[in-house]
Amino acid sequence: MGNSVSDSAGFKAWFGSRKVQRIIVMVTFMIIPLILLFLFTYLPFGEMISFSFYKMKYIGKKTFVGLKNYASVFKREDCFGALKLSLYYMLGSLVQLTIALYLATILSFKVKGGNIFKGFMFFPFLINGIAVGFIFKFFYTRGYVFDTVLQWCGFNLENLPYWLKDQAINNYSLVGTSVWRYFGQNMVLFIGAIMSVDSSLYEAAMIDGANKFQQFIYIIVPNIKKIILLNVILSITGSLSAFEPPYVITSGANGTGTYFVIMHEIAHTQQKVGLASAMAVVLLAIILFATLVQKIVFRGIYGQEED
Amino acid sequence: MKLKRAVALLMTAAISVTTVGCASDKKDADKTTTAKQQSTDATTGGSEGEPVATSGGETYGEIKLGESYKDLTTTIKFIHHKTDRDADGTIAGYIAKFNELYPNITVETEAITDYAEDALLRLSTGDWGDIMFIPAIDKSELSTYFTPFGTVEEMDQYINFPKNWELDGMCYGIGYMGNAQGLLYNIRVFNEAGVTTLPKTPDEFIDALKKIKENTDAIPLYTNYADGWTMGAWDSYLGGITEGDSTWLNQKFAHTAHPFADKGNGTGAYSLYKILYDAVAEGLIEDDYTTTDWEGCKGMINRGEIGCMVLGSWAVAQMKAAGDKPQDIGYMPFPITVNGTQYATAGPDYCYGINANSSEDNKHAAMVFVKWMVEESGWCEFEGGYPISKTAPTTFDFSAATIIEDEPALPGDEDLMNEMNSESELSFNAGGNSKVQAIVEAAATGSKSFDDIMAEWTQKWNDAQSSLGVEIKY
Repeated sequence: MGNSVSDSAGFKAWFGSRKVQRIIVMVTFMIIPLILLFLFTYLPFGEMISFSFYKMKYIGKKTFVGLKNYASVFKREDCFGALKLSLYYMLGSLVQLTIALYLATILSFKVKGGNIFKGFMFFPFLINGIAVGFIFKFFYTRGYVFDTVLQWCGFNLENLPYWLKDQAINNYSLVGTSVWRYFGQNMVLFIGAIMSVDSSLYEAAMIDGANKFQQFIYIIVPNIKKIILLNVILSITGSLSAFEPPYVITSGANGTGTYFVIMHEIAHTQQKVGLASAMAVVLLAIILFATLVQKIVFRGIYGQEED
Repeated sequence: MKLKRAVALLMTAAISVTTVGCASDKKDADKTTTAKQQSTDATTGGSEGEPVATSGGETYGEIKLGESYKDLTTTIKFIHHKTDRDADGTIAGYIAKFNELYPNITVETEAITDYAEDALLRLSTGDWGDIMFIPAIDKSELSTYFTPFGTVEEMDQYINFPKNWELDGMCYGIGYMGNAQGLLYNIRVFNEAGVTTLPKTPDEFIDALKKIKENTDAIPLYTNYADGWTMGAWDSYLGGITEGDSTWLNQKFAHTAHPFADKGNGTGAYSLYKILYDAVAEGLIEDDYTTTDWEGCKGMINRGEIGCMVLGSWAVAQMKAAGDKPQDIGYMPFPITVNGTQYATAGPDYCYGINANSSEDNKHAAMVFVKWMVEESGWCEFEGGYPISKTAPTTFDFSAATIIEDEPALPGDEDLMNEMNSESELSFNAGGNSKVQAIVEAAATGSKSFDDIMAEWTQKWNDAQSSLGVEIKY
């Protein structure tokens, strides 16, 4: 016990050393975000996975049923079949990315009033999704905005379809709202990426006699392919989990119930929490799988030099 | 040196842990004793006599408004779904009046838009306030979350529908207003169409709709398809109205092998939904049902642009208020006649329930407030509802039909309908809007015949019965 003084002095020196201090600073900075991440993301997610093995409601007793919920997800036509609707949204996202890339390319060259156009086209993204839903509910109502505009263009109301009633086209109508809302955001991301392309490349290309289209193919696309990849992944995963347009505009009725809308109905109306959790886990697996496939495909297209 | 430091650190850590451990042990021990004492108190208190509503408090019946609990000072919170009445100050007005009588009881309110879902989520947290409108929970859970108002027998002297939220003979919920089920219609449109006597059977009703289509510009039947819940409203005619039997809905339905069979005499669940299918198939509804507008339909029926709508009596007040022809809005019994009698069911809307986890003071204050709201506020009458209080003045008249009240489920079967609804996913009277919307879709596109739909429902119902092990009795 005689050397306790020197011991504590040693401890102080050790505690004050740069290496230890660095670790302490790192831990204290990270601990709060990590706790939050765990508490609000991983813990509920883990709970959800455990729910998916039970037959349960929000309150009341739960019964363990093993993999039965997962079996129903694949067997039931309304669960897994709802993923077919995602094809509409994927198609929509391709259209959306094409429009966005096209406009981004045009707007990144010198255009009169370019900033105003950017502002107008980005604006829909700033509107709340629920509000977009209500806007389009009236937009598509028989004899309202869309029909009126088409009548100005010479269409006859008799020949126009019912945009939300006709099951052959109502999903396209809903996808249209989603394209309208998100293409501006994609466009802004693309413009940002195109801006970062070294402008001397264009000059060199022009001296070599390349036209604008060749500049786009050989300069712009290779330089922004990471952003394109990111947008494609986000759009595809987004279309798998499409929710707001069908939920707000048609409440999922009339053949517009996407996977998420069906999941919401099963979880909240039918109160089959276990089944809905299993649906969520399956969707997560599908999204992970889709992302992986896309990564591999894009790597195949662009070669190995990535990362 | 390094080793010494590590040992020292370990020692310090060990010492601090043990100290903390001791302290918390002691606290825990203290807590257990108090808890034990409290629980013994509670047992002795409870075993003295009859089951009482709040331990030591007065029941709903015993409370004399203006006399009981006058010296109680507390703040209670009331969560509800009436966002419209919250916004227009009606509820605040009632609370102000209540405070003239009980100035020391402060009532806070919160109106929730998506009430049916949010209330369930909040309920499970336990910390939601003192009074709520009871959401769709299993009856066996009532005593976990709510405080009883008194025995059903006793409550029957004061209010209508005491059995709606009953568990073990105790009443846990009191409606804020009652609903009678019938058909909302525009009297002028029916007269102009030449419908002189009100339809009493499904066939007469379809004929009346056809006359409206031929003779007027009005939409005969407005479905309100797009809003969903307005379609689910069709379920509320099951039971008393379709079968003429007050026990069918809650006691027989779940045990019936073929509840959706065609009886051939214009009664039963089959005939109810067949009315909707036929009306759609014959083009007697609005042109584009996917874009119907709930707020808009109120003005439309008031102006005479709509013939009728299938909605509970609660809607009458709103339709009258939506335009300048309130005298044109009428309410008639539903066009199904069972053995020569037209029935109308009546039941409570959302019911006040008092939090079982509130403090005793708050429970007493909540009890006083609920009694005042039911007996004195006049809210039910203001909404044009079927009366709840047996003493408060009312103007509701529905004498053309025999009023029956759906009996609650038999003991042991309280949760059966909820279980069946969830298992079959048909969700009758529990948000099962999509299945009724599907009838409209099938009728409009011709994708399925009505008998196919009923066969599907029967299949789902029977599957649910066998997976839950429900005994088939009827």
